[in-house]
Amino acid sequence: MTAIPTAIADPRVAPEIVSSVFYGAAVSTSLALLVAETVGGEPRITWGNEGAMHLLGYALEDLRDLPVAHLLPSLRGGELKLLLRRERTARMNLPFRTASGVFTECVVLCTPTPTGRMWNLRIVSADNEQERALRATADVHERRFATLTERSPVPTLLSEQGMRLAHVNDAFCSLVGLQSEQLLGTGWMACIHPDDLDGVIEQVAVVLGGGDGEAQARLLQRDGGERRTVIRFAHLFTPGVGAGFVASIEDITERLAFETRLAHQANHDPLTGLPNRTLLAEHVAARFVRGQAGLACLFLDLDNFKVVNDSLGHAAGDELLVEVADRLRAVVRPGDLVARFGGDEFVVVCEDVDEDDAVTLAERIGAALAEPVRLGGVDVRPHASVGVTVQADEHACADDLIRDCDIAMYQAKDGGKGRITVLDHHARAQARDKLRLVADLRDAIERRDIALQYQPIFATADGISTAVESLARWQHAERGPISPTTFVPLAEESGLIGALGSLVLDETCRQLAEWDRLLGADAPRRANVNVSALQLDANLLPLVVAALSGHGLAPGRLSIEITESALMKDPDSARTVLQQLRDLGVQLAIDDFGTGYSSLAYLRHLPVDCLKVDRSFVAEIAEGHTEITTAVIALAGSLGLSTVAEGVETPELAAELTRLGATYLQGFGLAVPMSGAGAAAWYAQRASPPGSAVPGPRAPLP
Amino acid sequence: MTAQPRPVALLAAAPSFDLDRVLAGIDTMAAQKPVAAQIVSVANSDDTSARVLADILAADVALASRVMKLANSAYFGMRGRVTTLQFAVTVVGFTTVRTMATVALTDLDDESRLPENFWASTTSVALAASLLATRFGERPQDTLCLGLLAQVGVALLHHNDPDGYRELLAQESSFPGRRAAEVRRYGISGMRLTGVALEQWGFPHSMVGPLTVVDDRSSSDGALLRVAFEVAARLTEPGYEAVDVAQLTDGQLREDAVGPVLEQVAQGAEELRRAMLDN
Repeated sequence: MTAIPTAIADPRVAPEIVSSVFYGAAVSTSLALLVAETVGGEPRITWGNEGAMHLLGYALEDLRDLPVAHLLPSLRGGELKLLLRRERTARMNLPFRTASGVFTECVVLCTPTPTGRMWNLRIVSADNEQERALRATADVHERRFATLTERSPVPTLLSEQGMRLAHVNDAFCSLVGLQSEQLLGTGWMACIHPDDLDGVIEQVAVVLGGGDGEAQARLLQRDGGERRTVIRFAHLFTPGVGAGFVASIEDITERLAFETRLAHQANHDPLTGLPNRTLLAEHVAARFVRGQAGLACLFLDLDNFKVVNDSLGHAAGDELLVEVADRLRAVVRPGDLVARFGGDEFVVVCEDVDEDDAVTLAERIGAALAEPVRLGGVDVRPHASVGVTVQADEHACADDLIRDCDIAMYQAKDGGKGRITVLDHHARAQARDKLRLVADLRDAIERRDIALQYQPIFATADGISTAVESLARWQHAERGPISPTTFVPLAEESGLIGALGSLVLDETCRQLAEWDRLLGADAPRRANVNVSALQLDANLLPLVVAALSGHGLAPGRLSIEITESALMKDPDSARTVLQQLRDLGVQLAIDDFGTGYSSLAYLRHLPVDCLKVDRSFVAEIAEGHTEITTAVIALAGSLGLSTVAEGVETPELAAELTRLGATYLQGFGLAVPMSGAGAAAWYAQRASPPGSAVPGPRAPLP
Repeated sequence: MTAQPRPVALLAAAPSFDLDRVLAGIDTMAAQKPVAAQIVSVANSDDTSARVLADILAADVALASRVMKLANSAYFGMRGRVTTLQFAVTVVGFTTVRTMATVALTDLDDESRLPENFWASTTSVALAASLLATRFGERPQDTLCLGLLAQVGVALLHHNDPDGYRELLAQESSFPGRRAAEVRRYGISGMRLTGVALEQWGFPHSMVGPLTVVDDRSSSDGALLRVAFEVAARLTEPGYEAVDVAQLTDGQLREDAVGPVLEQVAQGAEELRRAMLDN
């Protein structure tokens, strides 16, 4: 064993301790130590411990005097100086040549002795098993990750620094049509639509800071295409390196296109492709600012569209609508909206216009529409009635504006076809009032606030009343009584007639049943109920059946009154409905007979039981003109029908009508309309003494 | 007839050059710039965080502002969104922060004390290495840093022998030729010196290793750096005669992959240079 160099012996450390440490180092196999010294101008090994001999495969004798350069051939020329420093310790990774000639990678720590003539080299194999195992595990992880992303069909990006990509997978490359070399680093940023790039960087900033995030971005493809995507980012941290992200891309182009199509369908008319009512409302609402001006709506309704539809067919009607839509689109200013409101109605919305501008546009539209269009071999010149409204202070919301131009259009229509009308404020007030009344009527029907009154009908033969006519009455909370001549047409116009008719039928039947319970045999045998022309369809029979059966009444207890004009609207269909009712056992009467234009031929074939002579003819009797009433009574008699004379105001008139042969009489002079309870009392009172042949006027009972 | 001494012979040795002094200088640098030295020593330990590095960086305003500038440069694509030092450290990565600290430590940020075109070639090498890294199974961040620091040794040689190095540079324009001349004159190439310095400062051997084998064409470890220098030479050396990259990389890379890289390096090198330096 080589003696301990005295130079390194510290006088403060006992020689025994130095000796002990040296011995430990000398025999250690886990620690490889060499000592080098300049001998003959060249650094050579002068000593090595057991560990060094084991690591390098040399016996101590072979090691001694070996030039350091032989062990470390990679330190060429003067490079040995880099390791064998005189002033300080040097640390290097170097391949050592072992005795067998094989190189082993080592970390060497070289410390000079205080004299600077010798060096102590501490060698650690860089190739130890633990490190190899760790490296292998890390490599496996990285390979797995790479395989996962490379082969994944999901376009994936991996950044290790900021926006700089370290990896992109094949799926991303094919999505944008570029090679990975063009995308790595910040190359991929060129694929992001410039308008979306800021949003993406914003999210990356969040994710690099430790969060998760996603951004919608359009990706530009090499062939000029564009894909809409959602990019989802996840934070990625590598110890000792820093933060990056993994991003996966979902291509949502098709999904968005589908959603856009759906949204378009929801907001557009499929026939003309124009925005529909929903979009119109949104469009106006988005531009409407209360108290400002400049927004205008033009409401167009095609004149005689029904004629085209009925005579040339629906296909021609559709063709016309498409043509009108095209012409409207072409004639309006850029930025104006053309919408199909419904049926043959269109609305044009323009901004920054005054009334004159709007009327000028309406005229231009009128002129453009008037050009002939060939439909089914026929030249048709479409005309439209146009209502114009410009926003004013009284418009509280966008709906007001649209409603007003609708009203203006009706004004235009009323004034004759093919006209342009700017909304008249008085008419608007009227129309709005009507709208409120419709709303009130709807409420009244729902709450069954429509009351029925019953007017007795007397037989001329014995002066006894065995029937009543049901009359609907509406007592408005603020406006007082509203006449049926007002609210029935209102119900017909606003689609409430079905509900109103149903209410009247049901309430009448209920009342009849109640009278039956109260009065027994003295109860009215029949009630006449008026039915609107609009009710004369397939729904009427089930409605009547339901009302009768609901209250346990025989069909003969009802008589349905239909006006002459209602019957003549569609005589064939009316006949079918009446026949069904007749077959059921319900009586049928023609109301206001003589005021319309009945075809006598039809009359003969209609399954009716009774004609009601209109009060206007009855009134003429007092003035000595009995001709029409006489003729009607005679006509009824010859057809085997009974008659009811309405509007009988005096006993004289009653006597005259009896003389003329009327079967029944009805009028204020005989009995006024009464409530259900009032009528019950009236009939109860009449039942006790036997009645006279011709009834006299009586005061109404409550 | 008197034989004229050849320039190579003149450069063969520089008696005034003392490698020991150069190596000792590496140590004293750290003492002069303690913040940079601290960053260099802690940046890549596994328990380092952006917060720790930012806290240290904050004490060196010049270095901190340079890191901020780099984080907001086009190279990282963050477009001015980096407003805090901690986030800047996150964006550029720890190795880059360490590299910038090393640049400060070795006075590489003072162009007047460097060989001509030092940063133009350095940023080109760094960008090329970073863009091609994944082709060679390397991490772009590491190779960017290696590229940025590869010529630290050259700068050190130049510091210690400015006139001699200028002469050397004038005679050997190609990178490999220059390295050979460095060995002849100084006994060590600049690149080798870089390796020693970086190893001394604790940079991982995996990063330093390629520096020692860059001129050994049989070594695959040096291939990426060889190609990076080739790309830089094509862009920065007038009249340079290109060498086929397939030869430089033993077929690992083909010429057709170099085109886009040349393009990107040409575009980005100057921006990166500005971000690395104060001007």
